[in-house]
Amino acid sequence: MAPQLDVFAVAPMMPVALGVLVLPMFEVLLMRRGSVLGQPMSAARRGTYLATLSVGFLLVSLLLTMNAFSQPLRTFNPENPMVRMDGVALFLCATVLIGAVLTVLASTKYLEHVHSNWGEFYTLVLSSVTGMMFLASAADLLMLFLSLELMSIPVYALAGFRRASLRSNESAVKYFLIGSFASGLLLYGSALLYGATGSLELTEIATSFDPESALDLCGAGLLLVGLAFKISSVPFHQWAPDAYEGAPTTVSGFMATTVKVAAFGALVRVVSVALAPAADALGSVLWVLAVLTMTIGNVMALIQRNTKRMLAYSSIAHAGYLLIGVLVGGEAGTGAVLFYLLSYTFMTIGAFTVVSVLARDGREYDAIDDLSGLVQTKPFLAIVMSACMFSLLGMPLTAGFVGKFLVFSSAVQQGLANGSSSLVWLVVIAVLNSALSLGYYLRVVAVMFFQPPREDVQPSEPGSFERIVLLACFAGVLLLGILPQDALPWVVSLVNLPDVNVLQLAADAAASLANASP
Amino acid sequence: MDFVGWLLDNHLLSLITFLPLATVGVLAAAEGLARLPEAVWKWGALIASLVGAALTALLWQRFDPAASGQQMVERVAWIPSYGISYSMGTDGIALLLAALTSFLLPVVLLASWTDIHKRVRSYLFFMMALQTGMLGAFFALNLFLFYAFWETMLIPMYFIIGIWGGPRRIYATVKFFIYTMLGSLLMLVGIIALAWMHQQQFGSLTFEYYGVPPASGLLDLVIPTEGGAWWQQQSFLFGVFALAFAIKVPMFPFHTWLPDAHVEAPTPGSAVLAGVLLKLGTFGFVRYALPLFPQAAQEWAPWIVGLALIGIVYGALVAWVQQDVKKLVAYSSVSHMGFIVLGLFALNPQGVTGAVLQMVNHGVSTGALFILVGMIYERRHVRDLDAFGGLARVMPVFAAFFAIATMSSIGLPGLNGFVGEFLILLGAFSSLRWPAVIATSGVILSAVYMLWAVRRVFFGPLVHEANKVLADLSPRERLVAVALVVPMIWIGVHPATFTNPMDRAVTELLETVNRRAPDTAAQPQREASAALAVEAK
Repeated sequence: MAPQLDVFAVAPMMPVALGVLVLPMFEVLLMRRGSVLGQPMSAARRGTYLATLSVGFLLVSLLLTMNAFSQPLRTFNPENPMVRMDGVALFLCATVLIGAVLTVLASTKYLEHVHSNWGEFYTLVLSSVTGMMFLASAADLLMLFLSLELMSIPVYALAGFRRASLRSNESAVKYFLIGSFASGLLLYGSALLYGATGSLELTEIATSFDPESALDLCGAGLLLVGLAFKISSVPFHQWAPDAYEGAPTTVSGFMATTVKVAAFGALVRVVSVALAPAADALGSVLWVLAVLTMTIGNVMALIQRNTKRMLAYSSIAHAGYLLIGVLVGGEAGTGAVLFYLLSYTFMTIGAFTVVSVLARDGREYDAIDDLSGLVQTKPFLAIVMSACMFSLLGMPLTAGFVGKFLVFSSAVQQGLANGSSSLVWLVVIAVLNSALSLGYYLRVVAVMFFQPPREDVQPSEPGSFERIVLLACFAGVLLLGILPQDALPWVVSLVNLPDVNVLQLAADAAASLANASP
Repeated sequence: MDFVGWLLDNHLLSLITFLPLATVGVLAAAEGLARLPEAVWKWGALIASLVGAALTALLWQRFDPAASGQQMVERVAWIPSYGISYSMGTDGIALLLAALTSFLLPVVLLASWTDIHKRVRSYLFFMMALQTGMLGAFFALNLFLFYAFWETMLIPMYFIIGIWGGPRRIYATVKFFIYTMLGSLLMLVGIIALAWMHQQQFGSLTFEYYGVPPASGLLDLVIPTEGGAWWQQQSFLFGVFALAFAIKVPMFPFHTWLPDAHVEAPTPGSAVLAGVLLKLGTFGFVRYALPLFPQAAQEWAPWIVGLALIGIVYGALVAWVQQDVKKLVAYSSVSHMGFIVLGLFALNPQGVTGAVLQMVNHGVSTGALFILVGMIYERRHVRDLDAFGGLARVMPVFAAFFAIATMSSIGLPGLNGFVGEFLILLGAFSSLRWPAVIATSGVILSAVYMLWAVRRVFFGPLVHEANKVLADLSPRERLVAVALVVPMIWIGVHPATFTNPMDRAVTELLETVNRRAPDTAAQPQREASAALAVEAK
C-alpha cells in the first residue's frame, strides 16, 4: 500500500521552491528587449523587481510558517518522517526566512555598487533558503545530507558572486573545497551510523545506538565534524574568515546568519535526538569545542583590521556561546539556542548591512578605519552599527544580552540540577570571553564616534530597501532586548496571526523536540 | 491633571528615573522633524533636571522615615517566566543617593553651560541618559533590572569621555568600560546562580531581591558557607559581587581606570563620575553584598578592610605628588572611597550611617572640586599646579569657594566631610580599632595634600602673565558654586536632616546581616573578651 503522504506538511517550503523556478524565467522576460513589459530595463531596475518578487515569495513562506505554529505537528510521511515540521523546525525556518528577506533587501543596491548586479543572485538565495528550511526540519540523515548540499552549493556560488574580484573567487574556492570536504565527512559518518544502527532516521538511530561501540562513536564523531565545519566551530573554522572577507558583504551576512541557523538546527537535532544515548561522551567533546571556539574566535577578532574579517571571528565566538546551549540541551538549552539564533540574525545582518552600504564604485570600504567619523557623515548608520555592536557584546536591553542570559541561565540551571560544576565553569569562561570581546566591538564604536571622518570614504545615501533592513535590525535588536516576552505579539498583531511570544515559542519548540527523543 | 496626580501617586520613582531620558527622547524626536536651536536643548535639559530635582524633593517629603522596608514600590511583570519584573522602590539609603544624583544634575548642566562646544545635543542626550541609568540602579529592586541599569549606564559615560574628553580619551574610556564590565559580567553569573538557587530552595525562579509576601525573594535564600558546589557557596558569590563593586568604587588595586578616566573626561563627566557613579560601588556593598552574604563578608573583611586602608594611605600619598589638579582630586577620591568602605565593614550603626552620609558628602565635595577645577580650566586650559599661584588676588570669589570645597573634602568641623568621617571613625574604633587608627592618618594626609595644593594655586606671588588677567566667577558660576556650598554647610551643621531618613534603613540592614549570620555578627566582642581572658591569665 502506498504511504499516506502529507504533502502540505512542507507547505512553508513551497513558495520559496516555486520562486527558484519562477525567478529565472521572470528575469529572462525582463531582460528581453521589447518584452511583454515594454521597455528594456536597466540592471538596477531589474534588480529591484527581482528583489521585490523574491521578498514576496519569502514572505508568503514566512506567513505559512507562522501559521503552522498553531497547528498540530505534521510530518511529510508519518511512517518514515524524513521531514518533521516541529516547533524547532518552524522557529528556525522563520529565522532563516527573516534573515533571507533582510539579505535580499540589503543586496540590490550593494550589488549595483560593486558592479555585480546579475539576476541569478536571487535565485541562488532562494534555492539555498529552500535547502536551509529542509535542513532545519530534517529528521533523517539522508534528508539532512541532501538539504545540506542544497543549502551549500548555491552559497558557494554566491561567495564568488563578484566575478571580477580575486578575493571573492578565492573565498568561493576555499569555501567550496572545505565545504565539500565537510559534506564528505558528514556523509561518511551517516554511512557508518547506518551500518551500525541499521537506520537513517534520527529517533531509530537513538534506540539502537550503542555508546560502547567504536563504529557508532566513529559515525557520530564524523557527523559532528561535518556539522562543526558548517557552524565554523574551532578547530574547523579556518575557512570562515577568508570566506567572509572575500564574499560580497551581504552574502557574508547571509553566510554568517542563515547558514549557521540552519546548521545549528541540524546540530541540535542530531545531538539531542539521534545521539542522546551518547550524551556523556558528547558532553565533554562539546564542552571543549565550546571553550576553544569562543576563546579563539574572540582572541583572533581582537587583532583584525578588517570589519568583515572581525565579524567572521565574532561569528565564530558566537558559535561558541551557542554550543553551550546545544550542550545543555533539553527545553532550556534548546530554547536558549533558538532565541539566540534569532537575535544573532538581526544584529549580525545589521552590522554587515552597514558595511555594505559603504561600498561604492566597485570598491568595498571594509576596513575598520573606513568607519571613522561615521556618526558625522551618516549618523543613522553609526547608530544602527553601535546598536548591533552593543548587542553583539551583550549589553542589557539588547537582543544579544537576552540570548546570552538565556544560554547562561540554562547552563546554571542544568549545573544545579545535576550538581555538575563543569557547566558553571563554562559559563564563567563564557563571561570572561564576553569581556574579551569588548575590545573589538568597542573599537568599532570608538572609531565611528571618536575619530574624525575620513576624506576618501564617501558613503552614499542608503536606499529605501537598505533603510528598511537597517530599521528592522535596529528594531529587532531593541525589541527582543527590551521586551523579549512581548516582542512578537506586537509584530504579529499587525498581520493578524495567532498570538505568540518569542520566549514561549522558543520554549515550546524545544519541548516539541524533547518529545521526539526516545 | 488627574493623570499627573496618578503618576505622582503611583509612579513617582519611575517618573524621577525616566524623566531625563524622556526629555531628551522627545527633543531628539522633535529634532527629526525640524532643526532645533541648541538653546532649546540646553534649556529643556536644565528645566527637566530641575523638575527632576523638585520631584525628588517631593519624594523626600512623602518618604516616611519611620516606615520599614521599601517605600513607593512599583511592580510590573517584565519577563514573568524568569521571575523578572520591573520593581522599583526606595529605602532611606537609596533615597539619599537618589537625592544626591538629582541635585547634582542641574548643577552640572549649569556648570557646563559654555564648557561643551561641539555636539551639544549629543552631550545633553548622554548626560540625561546617564542620569536615568544611575537613578534606576538606586531604585531597582529586581536584580535583573538592577543589572540592566548598572550595565547600560556605562554606554553614556563611554561616549561622554570618548567624544568630549582630552587627548588620551579613547584609551581612558575603553579602559573604564572594560574594567567595569569585566567585574559586572562575573556578577551576572552570581545573579543567575542566586536565582536558580531560589528555584531549588523555594520552588520558584525569581530575580526579586526582597520577597513580595507571600512569595520569597533572593534575600530569603540560605546560602551555604561550606559544602555543596563551589559556586553555590557564599565565598564565591560574595567574591563576584564584591569584585564588581570594588572595581566601581574603586578600591585598590582596581583603581587604575579612575585617574585615567577623570583626567581625560570633560568637567561634567568627571563631576558625575566622582559624584555619583562611584557611589554605586559602595551602594552595591550596602544593598547587596553585605546582607546577602554576611558570613563571607565577615570572612573577607580583613582583606577588604586591608585594601581599603591601602587605598586610603596610597591614594593620599599619590595625590600628594600630583602636578595635575584633576589627577590630584582623582587620587583623593580613591582615598576617600576607602573611608567609606571601612565604615561599611565596621558593620555597626555609626559606621554604616557615616559611610552612607560620606557617600553624599564625597559626591558633593568632589563634584564641587571637579566643577571648580573645570571653571579655571575653561579660562586657562591648563590644570598644572605650577601654572597657577596667587590666584586669590585676581579671583577672590573663586578662591573662597575653592577653599570651602577643600575644607569640606578634608573634613573641617562645621562642614559635611567632618560629620561623615567622624561617624566612620567612631564606628570603626569599636569594631576595627587598628584599621581605624591607620585610617586616621588618611585624614591628616588629605589635609596636607589639599592645603598644599590650595596654597600653590591661590597664594604666593602672581608669576604667570596669563593669570593676571583672569576674570573672577560670572553670576552663573557663582550660582553653581553657591548651590554646591549650601549642602556642605547644611550637612555640616545639621546632619540630622540627612541621617534621620536613613536610620531605619541602616538598622534594618544590620538586623538582616545579624539574622542571616547569627553566629558571626557577635564575633568581634567574643574575640575581644577572649583576648582579655587570656591576658588575665
